[in-house]
Amino acid sequence: MHILIVEDEAKLLAALRKGLESEGYSVSVASTGEEGFFLIFNQSFDLLLLDVMLPGRDGVEILTALRKRGLAVPVLFLTAKDAIDDRVRGLEAGADDYLVKPFAFSELVARIRALTRRAHRADAVSRLKLADLEMDVTGRAVLRENRELVLTAREFDLLEYLLRHQGRVVSREMLARDVWKESARHTPLDNVIDVHIARLRRKVDEPFKVKLLHTVRGVGFVVREVAT
Amino acid sequence: MISLGTKSVRTRLTLWYVLVLTSVIIVYVAGASLVLVWQMRSQIDRQVVQDLETVEGLLYFTEDGRLHFNEDYHNHPESKLVQERMLEVLSPDGTILFKNNQLGERVLGGAPFMGEGVGGYSQRSERLPDGTRVILASRAHTMQDRPILLRVAFSEEPIWSRLQQMLAILLLALPLALAAAAYAGYKLAGRVLDPIEKMAQRAQQITSERLGERLPIENAEDELGHLARTFNEMLSRIEESFEQLKRFTSDASHELRTPLAAIRSIGEVGLHKNTSGEEYRDIIGSMLEEVNRLTNLVESLLTLSRADAGELRLRYEIFPVIDLLSDAASLLEVLIEEKKLTFTLTGDESLYVKADRLFLRQAVINVLHNAVKFTPSGGAVALSVARNKDGKAELSITDNGPGIPAEHRTLVFDRFYRVDPARSGENKGAGLGLSIARWAVQSHDGEIALSNVPDGGCTFSIRLPTVPQTSAD
Repeated sequence: MHILIVEDEAKLLAALRKGLESEGYSVSVASTGEEGFFLIFNQSFDLLLLDVMLPGRDGVEILTALRKRGLAVPVLFLTAKDAIDDRVRGLEAGADDYLVKPFAFSELVARIRALTRRAHRADAVSRLKLADLEMDVTGRAVLRENRELVLTAREFDLLEYLLRHQGRVVSREMLARDVWKESARHTPLDNVIDVHIARLRRKVDEPFKVKLLHTVRGVGFVVREVAT
Repeated sequence: MISLGTKSVRTRLTLWYVLVLTSVIIVYVAGASLVLVWQMRSQIDRQVVQDLETVEGLLYFTEDGRLHFNEDYHNHPESKLVQERMLEVLSPDGTILFKNNQLGERVLGGAPFMGEGVGGYSQRSERLPDGTRVILASRAHTMQDRPILLRVAFSEEPIWSRLQQMLAILLLALPLALAAAAYAGYKLAGRVLDPIEKMAQRAQQITSERLGERLPIENAEDELGHLARTFNEMLSRIEESFEQLKRFTSDASHELRTPLAAIRSIGEVGLHKNTSGEEYRDIIGSMLEEVNRLTNLVESLLTLSRADAGELRLRYEIFPVIDLLSDAASLLEVLIEEKKLTFTLTGDESLYVKADRLFLRQAVINVLHNAVKFTPSGGAVALSVARNKDGKAELSITDNGPGIPAEHRTLVFDRFYRVDPARSGENKGAGLGLSIARWAVQSHDGEIALSNVPDGGCTFSIRLPTVPQTSAD
């Protein structure tokens, strides 16, 4: 999986590169629009991460030119501008997704995964499993050590989301958007999420020896067998 | 309004004043002249008739059949207006029997017309061949058995010359009077306008740094006083918003600096000491928490500044207003449960509003979150909606927490405002939630207000205009 990042902010570029490489992607970088443009037409990428504001050519221009030439590579826009008009402009130019700075790295990874796996729908999996925790999504049942756990609907959705992202950190923003379907970022939802996580932990982890649900301070939550 | 080609209000006022005064004088003089002429003429009229009788008695035929006039007697009428009588005596066939010296070679009125002077007298105005205007009276008379026609006339010229005199005097005096009036008017306008000039000078000195200054009010009761007062009130409002802006800027920088300072010191301290991997995780996590705080703050500020700039567009839909309460409650339910609060939701399900659901929901969530946050464990939060006496939907969010002191009640909606500044840290909120709520409510023509409940706690009331349910389809 080969990703090109076009971003003029050097620190962010370096961090993204490092992060994505540690996620197992091969990464090329460009720090100007021209450089990015050149790379795009001389190599083949599975995904482009384009900053909208770039010196020289901006992201929208690059994308427009690229779509004009019939390149269907998925494009994820990164921008500090989140005015509706900019978003619309980006999506109209043919961007597949849009991420507003500052974003959580885990969210970026989730979006990249979503963009690259659109062909083979991972969401269709109806049985999720982690260690001795099993979830039947269609039957809406959760078992641990073969004992059924009684979860509320929200707790079930939350656990399902975590299990689908197992091993990867899920941020509160992702939970707010995907589980609670809240669009506004400044909703006082963090407390609500924390309480739900605490309750879920009480049901899923507390009675058992191996803890699966972990808090990654400052980032979010993750389910996995081994705490790090 | 005629501009009269000048920019100064003072000059314009004076010109208008003089113009109006001139017209008034002209109309007045014309009217007075008419009355004068009419009065003098009617005086002559009466005189002529009287004189006709006098003349009758002074005429006699001499023995040779010639008509004689005893001019020595009562020759001059008493009125000064009628000095010289003109007399003509005609026989009924039009032959002139007698003319007095005053008339000389002129004729009075020519041949008699049918019935002239018969049974009383005939009176008319006439212009003699030499152009003299006269008032003429004639009377048929029988003298020593001979029928004669007497004609007596007085010249109108004294009237006209008097009128001319009067007009000449007025014409001479008018420019002087107008000049005096113009001068007085100019001075007066100057005095009236002087306070305005002073106000303008004073206003010019009021800059953003000196907004505390006010215009002088010389007489609070008059129009200029009213203007100055209005201006001062506007200045107060500007000053207030400047103060708000200053406070906002300093509050915002404080709020932004606090997490930055935390990030910086956490990072620096972390680097200085010998730190294990686990500790590093903790340090970075702690820094990320501050980053989140900053992010949320910036998001909220951005929302508010967009709202201020009018960039947020509302997407209207019609829905039962109670949905706002139940939505907010279901979202925050776990927090309510965690604090073991007694929670009630009651209200009129038939009240509909046409509103942007997301923004209003946000407003209610913020208010409810605030209530839940400040109500101690085991307390109670009550949500209700009802139609108030103005016909609006009134959403009430009541808690039995500590309440909010009266002096804070209007301020809680201000940006970054906190009732207890010391609690800012532990409760995390940036103090923008209620500002956002107020904006959302106000942009729907609604009101949001805060009142204390007698036995502790407070009620936030959100009043929104309703729409008929039928339009929901």
